[in-house]
Amino acid sequence: MAPFVYSTLIISLGLGTTTTFASTHWYLAWMGIEINTLAIIPLMTQNHNPRAIEATTKYFFAQATASATLLFAAVSNAFLTGEWDILQINHPLTSTLTTLALAMKIGLAPLHSWMPEVMQGLNLLTGLILSTWQKLAPFCLIYQIQPDNPNVFITLGLLSVIVGGWGGFNQVQLRKILAYSSIAHLGWMILILPFSPPLTLLALFTYLMMTFSLFSSFMLVRTTHINSLSTSWAKIPTLTACVPLILLSLGGLPPLTGFLPKWLILQELTKQDLAPIATLAALSSLFSLYFYLRLSYTMTLTMPPNNPAGTLPWRLNPQHNTLPLALTATTTIFLLPITPTILALFTS
Amino acid sequence: MQLIAKLIKINLIAKLTFNQALTQMGYRRPGQPREDKPPWWRVKFDLSKGLKGMKRHFTLLKEEFFAQFIGPMGKPIIEHMLEQNQVLWEFRGPHSLQEWTISCDREIGGKSEIYLKVGRNNETCLLYGTLCSDPPKDGETRYSGYCTMRAKQPLASFDRKRYHDWSSFNTLHLRIRGDGRPWMINVIAETYYTHQKDDMYSYFLYTRGGPYWQDVKIPFSKFFLAHRGRVQDDQHELWLDKINAIGFTLGDKADGPFQLEIDFIGVCKDYAHTEDFAYEKYKRNPEV
Repeated sequence: MAPFVYSTLIISLGLGTTTTFASTHWYLAWMGIEINTLAIIPLMTQNHNPRAIEATTKYFFAQATASATLLFAAVSNAFLTGEWDILQINHPLTSTLTTLALAMKIGLAPLHSWMPEVMQGLNLLTGLILSTWQKLAPFCLIYQIQPDNPNVFITLGLLSVIVGGWGGFNQVQLRKILAYSSIAHLGWMILILPFSPPLTLLALFTYLMMTFSLFSSFMLVRTTHINSLSTSWAKIPTLTACVPLILLSLGGLPPLTGFLPKWLILQELTKQDLAPIATLAALSSLFSLYFYLRLSYTMTLTMPPNNPAGTLPWRLNPQHNTLPLALTATTTIFLLPITPTILALFTS
Repeated sequence: MQLIAKLIKINLIAKLTFNQALTQMGYRRPGQPREDKPPWWRVKFDLSKGLKGMKRHFTLLKEEFFAQFIGPMGKPIIEHMLEQNQVLWEFRGPHSLQEWTISCDREIGGKSEIYLKVGRNNETCLLYGTLCSDPPKDGETRYSGYCTMRAKQPLASFDRKRYHDWSSFNTLHLRIRGDGRPWMINVIAETYYTHQKDDMYSYFLYTRGGPYWQDVKIPFSKFFLAHRGRVQDDQHELWLDKINAIGFTLGDKADGPFQLEIDFIGVCKDYAHTEDFAYEKYKRNPEV
């Protein structure tokens, strides 16, 4: 893609998200989200093959539907209450409609079915943008909706955790696994939102860090299938040793960073007398842990069965800058001991 | 009276819409009368057939559900990791022919013939017939002379499409015995838009006429995109995660009998083959 066009699209992505962050009026927020959607469409069709076009089309349909629903909800709220302010979405019907529209935007179950197919059709870099940057603007809006009845959020959250685990159970395509992982993590975030919004933010930032490091690792190793992970030891042995830790952090195992949001969310849910829901969420995350372990097993804990001398892939000089991966991998693995500092940062 | 007029109007609109749909549906042999019957009139409802079908579909659904607990695609992950070769179609008896369908230009009024039968000792399949390039005399068709064999689309429970996932492999491996004719191997991948429904990825299969078997290994990077037989300018590699079917076509304009014997069709992973795509993509601003 021409550098000028590429930079325009990247700047538009930034502009869209920033517009939504800075807005208090529903129209401006919606406009920011639309700019985001339209800016990423050409990025998704960079590699001009039918699967990418299919992914782009499906993404556009899902996002356009959600945007239309969001605008309808905002206009209905203005009609019913006379308020255009994002914080003043008080009517139960419009509040629920807005929540569902934003849930579809970010890919929460049961409105998640577009996500694995879309991720499968993209390259890893665009998939990374989709999983991380594109979640920020809708999350900003979800964060500001203060529902009276938390049942919608609990239902969406629990369903997402279960579906994210069950859906990724037998996947062998890495991008689909990452899509289901995204759905499951979003479920955790939404689950705690009505009770403790700062924990949602904490979970979101942790998830962004961990996903970024995993995507970067896969980009460096140039692999999109679980079988090709087994030859990564020949390409970058250090990364092969680190990636299982990143995966287990995503799975929420102590003493890694990923344990932090899950621990605090379960604690908060228990305090809110929602122990059965907390139990169900914890048990459902075992499905996710299973496929993270499977990836670790394939990548690091086993050797491929073929003759190593005859199977080494071409080892070209890496084109990517590895500094972001180094930083995010470190934070993904080592942040748990400074939990009090992080808590003070988010809850002060 | 008004109600009757309304019903007649609805019927007419339905017929017009249906006829319009018919013209867009696909090929209609020149000279053949247009079928005015809607599709649902052609279905024969049979309770016992329906009950057997329900039993079959629910059994398949149950198997699919429990296969999830074994591993990806019903195989343990260790098997998935270890396999470097997979035999997809192995012709060992008459039951193996049910997964294939044959066709020739007889459907459009041509004179070719094609037959498929099990080979000697139920060990192979034999595709044979006669090719004839004489076009049908219908005033419209100008070219003719093709014979083809194609695998049927695999179906899951309730006739949902199932796909072959060949993303662990990079080479097509066939064991065949031909008569020296050049065949075309077509791989049909899943598409999204209706205008892509005739897209297929093709490559040549040159057979030797000898009595000896021929092991043919064709990397998937060599397959080029064609639409209705016409090679496309905008080429891209074949994505192997959703394959619908594979087929063999003969259309070499050499009239006469032909034979192709197939032992098995499989896929394998050739680690020495690292090519992504064999053809240039003509990027206007290539990255340096």
